Amino acid sequence: MSDMSIAITNLRKFYGHTAAVDGFSLEIPGASVFGLLGPNGAGKTTTFKCMLGMARQSSGEILYDGKPLVPAMFERIAYVPERSVLYDWMTVDEHVEMNRRAFANFEPARANELLATFNIDRRKRARTLSKGMKTAVMVALAFARNAEILVLDEPTGGLDPVNQRHVLSLMINEAAKGNSVLFSSHQIGQVERAAEHIAVMDRGRLVLQGLVDDLKADRKIVEGIFPDVTFTLDGIANDPHVARADRTERIVRLLVTADANAIAARLSAAGAVGVRVLDLNLEDIFLYAVSPATATTDIVAKESSS
Amino acid sequence: MNYVEWLRVRNLLKIVAIVLVVLVVLAVILRISVSRYMSPEAWVAHMTHDPGTRVANTVLPDGTKRTIIDDSTERTHVIIDDHGYAGKHIVVTEPSSRAHSDHSHINVGSIRVVETNHGDTTTTVIDTNGSVPMMYYMAIADVVALIVATILAAPLAREIDGHLEIALTRPCSRLRFALGVLAADVAGIVAASVLTVIAFYVCQLLFESARLDFSGINARAIAMGVMMPLAWYAMLCAATTWINRSYGAVLGFAWPVAILVGVLTLVHPVNVLALFVHDIAWVISRLDPLTYVSFAAPNDDGTLDYASSNFGLRFLVEVLFFVVYGALAIVKWQRVEA
Repeated sequence: MSDMSIAITNLRKFYGHTAAVDGFSLEIPGASVFGLLGPNGAGKTTTFKCMLGMARQSSGEILYDGKPLVPAMFERIAYVPERSVLYDWMTVDEHVEMNRRAFANFEPARANELLATFNIDRRKRARTLSKGMKTAVMVALAFARNAEILVLDEPTGGLDPVNQRHVLSLMINEAAKGNSVLFSSHQIGQVERAAEHIAVMDRGRLVLQGLVDDLKADRKIVEGIFPDVTFTLDGIANDPHVARADRTERIVRLLVTADANAIAARLSAAGAVGVRVLDLNLEDIFLYAVSPATATTDIVAKESSS
Repeated sequence: MNYVEWLRVRNLLKIVAIVLVVLVVLAVILRISVSRYMSPEAWVAHMTHDPGTRVANTVLPDGTKRTIIDDSTERTHVIIDDHGYAGKHIVVTEPSSRAHSDHSHINVGSIRVVETNHGDTTTTVIDTNGSVPMMYYMAIADVVALIVATILAAPLAREIDGHLEIALTRPCSRLRFALGVLAADVAGIVAASVLTVIAFYVCQLLFESARLDFSGINARAIAMGVMMPLAWYAMLCAATTWINRSYGAVLGFAWPVAILVGVLTLVHPVNVLALFVHDIAWVISRLDPLTYVSFAAPNDDGTLDYASSNFGLRFLVEVLFFVVYGALAIVKWQRVEA
């Protein structure tokens, strides 16, 4: 058990003239489950590759407990890529043996136990496994490594709901043991269930980060309806706690990052009727971070129908 | 040694072993089929068809079975000393004919034939159990080793093509990983050579007590026979690592291209185009380890001069190719990104 932390500072990775990651900085604390979210092409996988030395960053620094990555650290870092990298012609048992030979802390018994949990026949060759089974094999092998840091890129891809839940439990258990889990997923419900911290990437940049509970507690939608279209917000939109204001005819919706009730009171004072304060779930917060217009419409539509 | 690569090598060696076992089984069947033709009795039975032939059988004090055949009609006298598993010594004395030269000496595998003319008679001495030059074995083993080397020669490209995330997240440096992979393949290529030599030796043992000759040119053949497939492997390894996405094409076209280049170097420069093609092919062929396989230089009279073949230099070139091409593959591997 160790609280190994990761510090990424001003990471940049260019492919030709295109920036896959552009000035990304993040502190990932030890002994936690950290969710990295972002739309397709946001730079999550590239960030993982730079973190693990598989791609060389154009600039920036990545430190593990204050030290740069060296190959010996892979005894303490496990990685599950988003696509299968198993050797198709090898059996699952041979993959277990490969890991046993490569990693000092690898526990074959633990791997076999996890494979049994996922209902994987260890005698099968990888080519005969489904996409979900391949993911399960990679996850089982990673969790049997007794690594202090697990970097998991879409670790539930292709898994059925039961096994998805099992993977999430494994992640939470690892954090409870004092290890760090950094994972990406497009399934925000899973991230909300497992992660204590999240970071949201968009177009190579960090657009949001924090504790999930804090983000949810602080962020609200304040909605007000004015009697006619000739209203003014009296500077409410410029309040430092108002992250975004959308106005559609008589309706105004404000994304606030703190003091939602105070903002609601100001909106009422400005003449709005039917002022509501709406909670956000992680999906709403994510959508606000990467696509605010979509998020506002979606959130209000959900609230209206409920 | 890299476990995954060793599994690849092991699977390939299994196939090689199966093919060689089939060859040995075929040799056993052949041995059983021809056994009745291999005894002196069969020769005697054939020759005694001629009227006037006398046959005498004796056993010498050392246990050798001697058969003397005297064919007065054909004026042929044959002495067959059968040493059993240790071979036969046959002396045939017969009238000279135009087909006989004054003196000739022929070696075919373990069989040595020396023919000498004495005026109107010719004496032919046949020894069936001479030593077998190791170079014969190495020639066969090299074919197998080159095939194995060609099949194995994309180890790093295979890792790049779909398994980089496994290869690059191991607790060892890229250099160490690459060396482990190459070591597994080198061991596999050498093992394929050894298996082939053993299989063919077993085949020979089915027929006679074979003695292998490791001296002189044979020692060179062994050294070159081991090094040349390794240099060929290293060359393809470098090519496949640098052109990793098309490594299958590189391996598939390696032999046709090598043969084509070899043939083009033989083009007579009868015009500018032919000269151009010849020169280009000649330059390319200098990069091919197969070009330097030679143990002897031909003399004007058709004999071989082992002393002036520059064997040492040629062997050194093969070693250099192995090292340089291997280093090129590793340099690319060091730079690769997922």
